[in-house]
Amino acid sequence: MTLLRLNNITRRFPLGSPLYGPRKYLVAVDGVSLDVEMGRTTGIVGESGCGKSTTGRIALGLEPPDSGGVLFQGLPLPRIDSKKWRAQRRQMQLVFQDTLAALDRRMTVSALIAEPLAIHGIGDPASRKQRVAELLHGVGLGEGHGMLYPHQLSGGQRQRVVLARALAPKPSLLVCDEPVSALDLSVQAQIVNLLMDLQQELGLGLLFISHDLRVVRHVSDRIVVMYLGRVVEQGRADAIIDQPAHPYTQALVSAMPRLPGGFDHYVALPGEPPSPTDRPCGCPFHPRCPLARDVCRQSLPELLPLGPERQVACHLVRH
Amino acid sequence: MLHKSFHNSAGAALLPAHGIGASATKPAISIAGLRVAFGDVPVLHGVDLAVNKGEALGIVGESGCGKSVTWRAVLGLLPKSAEIGGEARIGDLDLVGARQSVLDRVRGGRIAMIFQDPASALNPVHRIGAQITEALRLHRGLSGAAARAEACRLLDQVGIAAAASRLNAYPHELSGGQNQRVMIAIALAGRPELLIADEPTTALDATVQAQILLLLKDIQRDTGMALVMISHDLAAVAAVCDRACVMYAGQIVETAPKHTLLTAPEHPYTRDLIGAIPPSHGPRMRLTAIAGAPPQRNLSPGCAYAPRCRHAIAVCRTSRPEPRQVAARHSVRCLRLDAGTYQ
Repeated sequence: MTLLRLNNITRRFPLGSPLYGPRKYLVAVDGVSLDVEMGRTTGIVGESGCGKSTTGRIALGLEPPDSGGVLFQGLPLPRIDSKKWRAQRRQMQLVFQDTLAALDRRMTVSALIAEPLAIHGIGDPASRKQRVAELLHGVGLGEGHGMLYPHQLSGGQRQRVVLARALAPKPSLLVCDEPVSALDLSVQAQIVNLLMDLQQELGLGLLFISHDLRVVRHVSDRIVVMYLGRVVEQGRADAIIDQPAHPYTQALVSAMPRLPGGFDHYVALPGEPPSPTDRPCGCPFHPRCPLARDVCRQSLPELLPLGPERQVACHLVRH
Repeated sequence: MLHKSFHNSAGAALLPAHGIGASATKPAISIAGLRVAFGDVPVLHGVDLAVNKGEALGIVGESGCGKSVTWRAVLGLLPKSAEIGGEARIGDLDLVGARQSVLDRVRGGRIAMIFQDPASALNPVHRIGAQITEALRLHRGLSGAAARAEACRLLDQVGIAAAASRLNAYPHELSGGQNQRVMIAIALAGRPELLIADEPTTALDATVQAQILLLLKDIQRDTGMALVMISHDLAAVAAVCDRACVMYAGQIVETAPKHTLLTAPEHPYTRDLIGAIPPSHGPRMRLTAIAGAPPQRNLSPGCAYAPRCRHAIAVCRTSRPEPRQVAARHSVRCLRLDAGTYQ
């Protein structure tokens, strides 16, 4: 069953002052559609400025789309700050990269985890205390950690607290924006394992946003590859990584060093992702694409199906 | 752009006396018993390491393991409060405790270093041409048109298109990847025997990271200089280096040729670290999660990894393992290995 559906959403931010000349826009997200299934993980991968975080914020209703719609459990998201919105927010939670910024450093871990329960009016103080203990245990922390403050914990422990806090109101959707990027490798593996265990146990739908293709492949059932605000390819995780169809996905996969082997199949890609304020016309990828032709410079390729479960936006792929 | 050959006429002059045959006798740098302490907290517990001429060596480890401190100590870049012991020999010169005037000639000359964040390493108010020619003036005595021509050649060597016009650009006009290329050009200006790259691609996007890693490898191969790449990313190190050292809590726990390290690691930490990397292809297996976190300070009398090690026995907590040669060029610091029992 589809838990979350983004339907052709677009988000642009005005640049500079409206007083001088025609207004310019930064198009952060341009016509993105994706689904998150119940109990499954959809991964969004892309380089900086590709719009992956904005997409996550729109999915949670933290950012209104300029056009297109977000459906959660088949219904459109209520208006922000309305009563209905708050009730809906119980169901959808967010995990960030920067845990020190996400946790109020003047609150103890127990208070931090209990806060969402109080906000959503779940249970009475005694049952909340019980639930906090359960959550601490669930994310692999001891009850002793409840008394500590965020700065007394390591990065991995703080990410566990953020997870416990997100899970407190029993959400059905978790949006994770670079949840393990700031962690050491050994700790990253702990959190990835924990996330996957919790998902299985609680039947969570995950929208997992990361620049790290390895981690995204590991956790995701489906992968959405974004470039300059647009989806260039999406499909089953294994298919995307093993047989990438879009030239950008091919380059991205080849730029991930293999163990062992390194860059044995490296597809050199010139330049760097351009700024989203200055998008090339035609296919946004054409200035860096090794295969670009005239048609790529002139018209924007549509996201079209390639086989049963995959979509690719490229003029040169035979659909 | 990446794969163009750097064998031009000036490049030939850039070759220091290299050749793998000679390297066996005299390393580019050899570090012995290097210890660093901040106040009474020891952070390096005796690092022994030799980098051969023309070799690409990777140093891998998690945050706080001492991988950067080792090289900062060697180059005298640590704050005055650091107490440094041991030696770091480059030729007949010991860099530990050397005078500033000696270090000034070595840094940027015989040994160059690049860092994670090129934007903060470059001076934002000077054109990049001026920053490269400054290094050329200090280390090679070039000035005027000769310096400018050489700066142009260096930019070309690091793969910056339209090098001549880019000399007039300011760092903010270039992207992160291009700024890292400029940093590499400045590092190459002094014709170093050894280039130390400290997390050179951590701040860059995936496709740009691959460009820079391959550029480093090409330059290292073409100029014959030695390269030390410090990184938390084992896969990135494996893509560039011939040999790698794994550090944990201020010590090198395993050193081996890259292929051996990746396919037949002996130290439990190396094994766990490799198991923690999500595989890039093939079946998805559960990742190896190492319990706990790397220690902030390593004061235990035993093996530093013992509290997190699945194979630790009582003796691991009480006595420190010494490095043991398990094969040619492969050494491991583990007590369980001596017993040969853990699997």
